[in-house]
Amino acid sequence: MVRPLLAGGGGAISLWALLARALRVQGRVAEARPIQEMLVDALPGHFPTRFDLSETLLLLGEFERGWREYTYRYSLAHTSRIERKVQRPRWDGRPIPGQTLLIYDEQGYGDTFQFMRMVAWAKVRSQAHVVLEINHEMASIARRMGGFDAITLRGELPPPFDLHCEMMSLPMAMGLRLSDLPGDPMPYLSALPDRRAAWRKRLEPYSGLKVACLWAGRPTHMNDANRSMSLVQLAPLAQEGVTFFSIQKGPTESDALMPPPGMNLISLSPEIRDFEDTAAILSEVDLLISIDSSPVHLAGALGRPAWVLLPLLPDWRWLQGRDDTPWYPSVRLFRQTEWGRWDQVIDRVAAALVERKRGR
Amino acid sequence: MTAPQQQNLTIEQALGQANAHWNAGQADQAERLCQQVLALWPGQSDALHLMGLMAHAYGNVDLAIDHLRRACQAPRAPAIYLSNLAEMCRQGGHLAEAEQAGRRAIAMDATLVAGWNNLGIILQEAGKLEESLTCLQRVVALQPDYAEAHNNLGNTLKRLGRLDQARVEYEQALKLAPNYAEALSNLANLLNDLGQLDEALSLARRAIDANPRLSDAYINAAAVEVSRDRYEDALRWVDSLLTYAPLHVGALGVRATILRRLGRLDVAVMDARRAVAAAPDNGEALNILGEVLQAQDKTDEALAAFDRAAQLPGLVREKALINRGVVLMEQGDRDGAKAAFDHVLAQFPRSVSAWFNLADLHHFTPGDPAIAGMEALLGSDGLQVRADRIALHFAIGKAWLDAGDTERAFTHLDEGNRQKRATFTYDSAAIDRWISEIVAAFPSEMFARPRAATAGSDLAVFVVGMPRSGTTLVEQILASHPAIFGAGEQAIMQNLVNQAGGFPAIARHLTSENEVVLGNHYLDAIRPLAGNHRRLVDKMPSNFLFAGLINRILPEARIIHVQRDPVDTCLSCYTKLFMREQLFSYDQGELACFYRNYERLMEHWRSVLPADRFIEVRYEDIVADIEPQARRLTDFCGLDWSPACIDFHQTSRTIRTASLNQVRTPLYSSSIGRWRRYARHLGPLLEGLGIDPEFAAVSEELGGAKPKRSGKPAVKGAEKSVGAH
Repeated sequence: MVRPLLAGGGGAISLWALLARALRVQGRVAEARPIQEMLVDALPGHFPTRFDLSETLLLLGEFERGWREYTYRYSLAHTSRIERKVQRPRWDGRPIPGQTLLIYDEQGYGDTFQFMRMVAWAKVRSQAHVVLEINHEMASIARRMGGFDAITLRGELPPPFDLHCEMMSLPMAMGLRLSDLPGDPMPYLSALPDRRAAWRKRLEPYSGLKVACLWAGRPTHMNDANRSMSLVQLAPLAQEGVTFFSIQKGPTESDALMPPPGMNLISLSPEIRDFEDTAAILSEVDLLISIDSSPVHLAGALGRPAWVLLPLLPDWRWLQGRDDTPWYPSVRLFRQTEWGRWDQVIDRVAAALVERKRGR
Repeated sequence: MTAPQQQNLTIEQALGQANAHWNAGQADQAERLCQQVLALWPGQSDALHLMGLMAHAYGNVDLAIDHLRRACQAPRAPAIYLSNLAEMCRQGGHLAEAEQAGRRAIAMDATLVAGWNNLGIILQEAGKLEESLTCLQRVVALQPDYAEAHNNLGNTLKRLGRLDQARVEYEQALKLAPNYAEALSNLANLLNDLGQLDEALSLARRAIDANPRLSDAYINAAAVEVSRDRYEDALRWVDSLLTYAPLHVGALGVRATILRRLGRLDVAVMDARRAVAAAPDNGEALNILGEVLQAQDKTDEALAAFDRAAQLPGLVREKALINRGVVLMEQGDRDGAKAAFDHVLAQFPRSVSAWFNLADLHHFTPGDPAIAGMEALLGSDGLQVRADRIALHFAIGKAWLDAGDTERAFTHLDEGNRQKRATFTYDSAAIDRWISEIVAAFPSEMFARPRAATAGSDLAVFVVGMPRSGTTLVEQILASHPAIFGAGEQAIMQNLVNQAGGFPAIARHLTSENEVVLGNHYLDAIRPLAGNHRRLVDKMPSNFLFAGLINRILPEARIIHVQRDPVDTCLSCYTKLFMREQLFSYDQGELACFYRNYERLMEHWRSVLPADRFIEVRYEDIVADIEPQARRLTDFCGLDWSPACIDFHQTSRTIRTASLNQVRTPLYSSSIGRWRRYARHLGPLLEGLGIDPEFAAVSEELGGAKPKRSGKPAVKGAEKSVGAH
């Protein structure tokens, strides 16, 4: 509708912004990109536009400028108040031997699982004494990862430090390229042996292919309506010789108590106390099938097989037009090809599951 | 996620932890500890100071000042707290309190680098530049690798007019911190002053790249575009800034100024008023409001704004005092204006604007000390801003013409024109094509069509011609008639044309309905100005471009074309530094080329416009015998004769054009044939106009017969006797 008004190359900036947004929603990201670049050129101080551009560039795999524009994630109306105003300079990627570098996680659990691999790399690059600050829920897994000198929990007073870096600013500081992925070591996380033993025992009675699953993300996530499904939509996956284990958490976890007819589904949700349990389950099942949510990243970081169901316009980290991901060798992607059509995705996953069963 | 409740901490421990939390960006924990301390010990200085720093980091300057004021009330408050209070007061616009706190800080601790730095910036902003310089030089001496200090020192040097030294400091700052946005932006501003426009713009872009919210960088980028007469591009920079800071006082002021120059006064005044409302004590904003009000002929309000601006601390005082003088000059108060400029020069001896305006009012004689005074400003210790130097060359050129030293006069005039011409691009050939397009777009058949039904269009009288051809004089004669209002140079037609798709493209859309719409647009704009007058004169000279359009949309409007000897006209243009853009006027060859195009277009209008709506009057005829010409003009306007028209120089009204000081004097015939004395310096102009300088020299001896022109036979405007319509 707005195209004719802009055909001459002139036109109001707000109309161009509308066109870029419309193209993005349709997944036509490559078409949106030059418009978004023009908008940033015209309005360099308008940070929401820059953040939108960062998502487009990262989605297209244009890491260099993408990570730079991604620094505007804390300059949006709803984020500027939560930006952490650290009174020390941000690390810019240069060696700082003898100094202390504070790296802290910032956003969702999935982000932290994905980017915590860079802590060890940052230590090598900076030659600094690295302090990792992390959320309470992931602390015990993080401790085993290594690659840092000290750990501190979010909200507690960290030891004195000279420079800092947000975990998701590490790619910008270190100039992360696609070809650097997945990086060493891979996998970089591990499950606790005794938890694994306990869950192995818990899952032992069930026969056939063991598939963990979840269908909904945290409802407060910005893009949740787009990424989440309902359990009923998973029903076509049910087949002979497959047992599903729900690891769903949150408002929809009790849906697993009444599975769709014909679906062999056991709910593990009430028994999962923390991420150590999730990690152990993912290490003991054959496969995870999930929407885009933090357990996917945990599975990837553990090197465990996971199939991810993605909406037409996915989060930037899944890139475009490929069914693998450079971030995690063990993860396979199933993308929507039409807006909102989960049914088509599920049909493809069901077929793949038949294949998988055969190859087992 | 909250920190465990801190029990049994001493106040000292609690403060230590609060500081450590804040260092780590843990504002909630730091605040909680501060509040615990303040509950036990209200007014505890360190806790209040930390609360102030945190408020500042979250952008709440007023709250920060509040905390710091209280922190500084403690008997043992250290110097750094006062120094921080000083800086926040500066940011909050409380300059006097800032200066006081800053001075207390360095009195307490003379080794406090931050204290000297903060005081140095405050004094700079207050216009106390020499003292600021001392402070900042001390900072740089104490801490030579302090990039910010070099940048600040550069700013003070720049304001002192020592551009070379300022540049060294900015470059030093950038050596220490290559992506230092403020220094990039300041260097851009300096290079703009020096006329290095490409480099200036690229630095401003780099500054914005480094910090996309550095508002000064946008304003400096806009200033570069203004230096190039690219007003629309300048507006884009300012609008880009206003998208994220809609009430930015500086941006609103700059936009008001650009819009004023574009003649869009209604919008300009809204921006200026918003700027003043947002910062009532901002002298720059008040001065800009005054300039817009002045353009709107609201003289008293304008003077009030200038007077208030001149009383505020800071750097705007000089500008406001000059503007005051310009208002007096426009009202014909030559003595008052002269006194105003002398007053400025007494305080600011290097004020180019004061010299420039004074030069227009003053008749120089050989040996005049004022000439030496101006020439000194061009010397090695003199002015460095390119725009200032250009203005000075024109002023000195005028002075030497007065004093009769043609050689020296043209040395300065040529240099001034050359430097001005280097600031913009101009394409003579494009003008050539454009005029041909206009002629083609308004063929004679167009004027055979029925007239548009625009009602009341006989209110409008247009006085058109080349700049410096006598349009101001003709307007002044007419405006002296009780039934005629002189509205000065109105940009209404130009704006109308811009909005309606450009010129001459607009000609394609001239249906009878559109003609009425456009005509009413114009009339709606002028009616409020006209009051009870039967005629209103719009003397924008460049409306000669639109004469055909005017006749189509305003069929009863009268158009008066003022003619003057071509060489005298062009000479007058060439010796003048225009405030509005007259880009054709700074190179003799281009000037001649423009003149010939103007003649070509007027010849076309002459052949197509109806005789009862188009008249031509010669400047020389008015000067020779004013009354018959004045009667001709009033007749043409359909009005009875009024003797006031020949005593025009007594008429009290505001005049705002380059000719304003001449119409205040009785007619002077010295301006006729003036050019022959300077023929030797006008080679490219005479050649371009097709006038044989040999013949000119001879004719001078023969007593000023009209020179013969050679060249294209089509060009004959100057010799053609003007038919009496």
